[in-house]
Amino acid sequence: MISVNPGSELKEKVTSSIFIGAATISSLLLLAMLLFLLRESWPIWSQVGITGFLGGAVWRPVITPPQVGIMPMLVSTLWVAGGALLIAAPMGFGCAIFLAEFAPVPLAALLRPVLNMLTGIPSVVYGFLGAAVLVKFFEVKFDLGSGESLFAASLILAVMVLPFIVVNSETALRSIAPEYRYAGIALGVSRQYLVLGILLPLARKGMLGALALAFGRAMGETMAVLMLAGNTLKLPVSWFAKGEPLPALIALELGSATPGSTHYQALFAAGLVLVLMVIAINLGINLLLHRLQKGVNSV
Amino acid sequence: MRRKTWLTVLLVSILSLCSLAGCAGDKQEGEKEAAPEKTTASIKIGGSSTMAPIIAKCADNFTEEFKTWDKVDAGFPEEPIVIFVSTGGSGFGLKSAVDGTFDFGMVTKDLNDEEKEQFANGTITQLGSDVLDIGVNSANPVAKVKPNLTTEELVAIFSGKTKTWKELDPALSDRPIVIAVRDLGGGASEVFDKAVMKGTPISPEALQIPSMGALAGKIMDNADTIGYVSSGLVNQNPDKIIPLSVDGIAPTLENISSGQYKIGRPLLLVSKDKPDDRTQKFLDYLQSDKGIEVVEEMGYIPVSR
Repeated sequence: MISVNPGSELKEKVTSSIFIGAATISSLLLLAMLLFLLRESWPIWSQVGITGFLGGAVWRPVITPPQVGIMPMLVSTLWVAGGALLIAAPMGFGCAIFLAEFAPVPLAALLRPVLNMLTGIPSVVYGFLGAAVLVKFFEVKFDLGSGESLFAASLILAVMVLPFIVVNSETALRSIAPEYRYAGIALGVSRQYLVLGILLPLARKGMLGALALAFGRAMGETMAVLMLAGNTLKLPVSWFAKGEPLPALIALELGSATPGSTHYQALFAAGLVLVLMVIAINLGINLLLHRLQKGVNSV
Repeated sequence: MRRKTWLTVLLVSILSLCSLAGCAGDKQEGEKEAAPEKTTASIKIGGSSTMAPIIAKCADNFTEEFKTWDKVDAGFPEEPIVIFVSTGGSGFGLKSAVDGTFDFGMVTKDLNDEEKEQFANGTITQLGSDVLDIGVNSANPVAKVKPNLTTEELVAIFSGKTKTWKELDPALSDRPIVIAVRDLGGGASEVFDKAVMKGTPISPEALQIPSMGALAGKIMDNADTIGYVSSGLVNQNPDKIIPLSVDGIAPTLENISSGQYKIGRPLLLVSKDKPDDRTQKFLDYLQSDKGIEVVEEMGYIPVSR
């Protein structure tokens, strides 16, 4: 490196090593957390085994001998998060396209901060509103015994992850090189075709990334599902059945589990499974995006 | 190449720092054990969410009445009274009392011998009992048609065998019974299991509610719900929740004091070491008439003196 004065090379080295240090410490923190979870839950993995724990359908950790199987909770987690995406993705993508392409500037300037504010509302408030309003609404409207269900949880989760999808998708759309728009205008295609046929495929990577972020967020959300999913131990058979996603299981039972007991270790094992699932989703989507990038890339 | 060596040096130094930190941690804990006297004037209490409102109210009253420690007893310094009360569950209260995070742990379940041993050098104080009533919504006709349930009927309902109100009694409606319970590893659940279910598993369709308050709320909101509710909450909402009798015994004060109504759990304060003078004063306050008044006010049963 050609240095202008003798001091700047040292300064560069120092600052770059500070940044490297910070990045290394962050990665080490994640690793340390995973190792801690593994250590606390190790007896479960060695005694019950991975298939036994993940595939077991009975969760009764306080009887002797304890039975720990989280299959119903795994299914509930995936169903609730998947359902939330199913509801939020069309709305989110539509909103992003509207904000990026069609919205008049004053309207967009109003909508964006409002959407951002949705992320600021604490999740317990969402849960509380859902429990007070949504559950009662389902009970009255559909004459159910009780209004809690995976669908109610998915609905609230959809509202919570909507801002993530909108913001990330809009960024992806905005960062497409303007040449594509000019080419479209020059060729005289309609606005709709320009957006749906040209810009959306180019923004695929960013939008899929938004979906992955939203899915990870929805899987890990605790307070809202704790109050809305019903927390039953039965395997849910439909979207409108009740279930108990993994974060709700951990939040509900960790306070009363005696440390060191099988119950405690099983809850840590469930936590490890949850973290690994979120990491797997993120890694999977990144791999998928890498392969997509082989096509036309601009984002 | 330079970067790689630099990265290796960084990682090695971080790892060695971590292991050194581990050594320091043990030493610090050892020192903490050796010094029994607290130098700060704050009392930390945490654990069961059922007891937290009682202790918090007593703490508020105590602080307001005395404000500084020298007014409690002239021998104490003039320091403001600071008492922290937090929740986290009985299990958390037990654990934190043992490892010293809290001065007192609030526990609402019977302690087994192993757990009692951990507090052999400290104190286990019972402030009262929390009785679990079997509660139904006031709009539910069962309160008039069948206000008494036998233990067998209760087991059948809570295990899921009796699925609709009509199966319980033909005069009731054909609506499904919504079972509300607390989390199945928790204190309230354990009490109910020992007194009623006796090993029969609760129906997998039962709703597990995170807190007693929310459970009472579910019964008040939903006319088809049945669940076990803390008697304190029932007494606070007399026109919304109706308690049912079990085996002919109603959850009245006489039946609870005499021990005839069996579904209950003790309200315990546990501490690992003997409390120091100031903390002992607060403990005395809790057991005095003023503390008993608060326990009764919240609807719980004070321990008879």
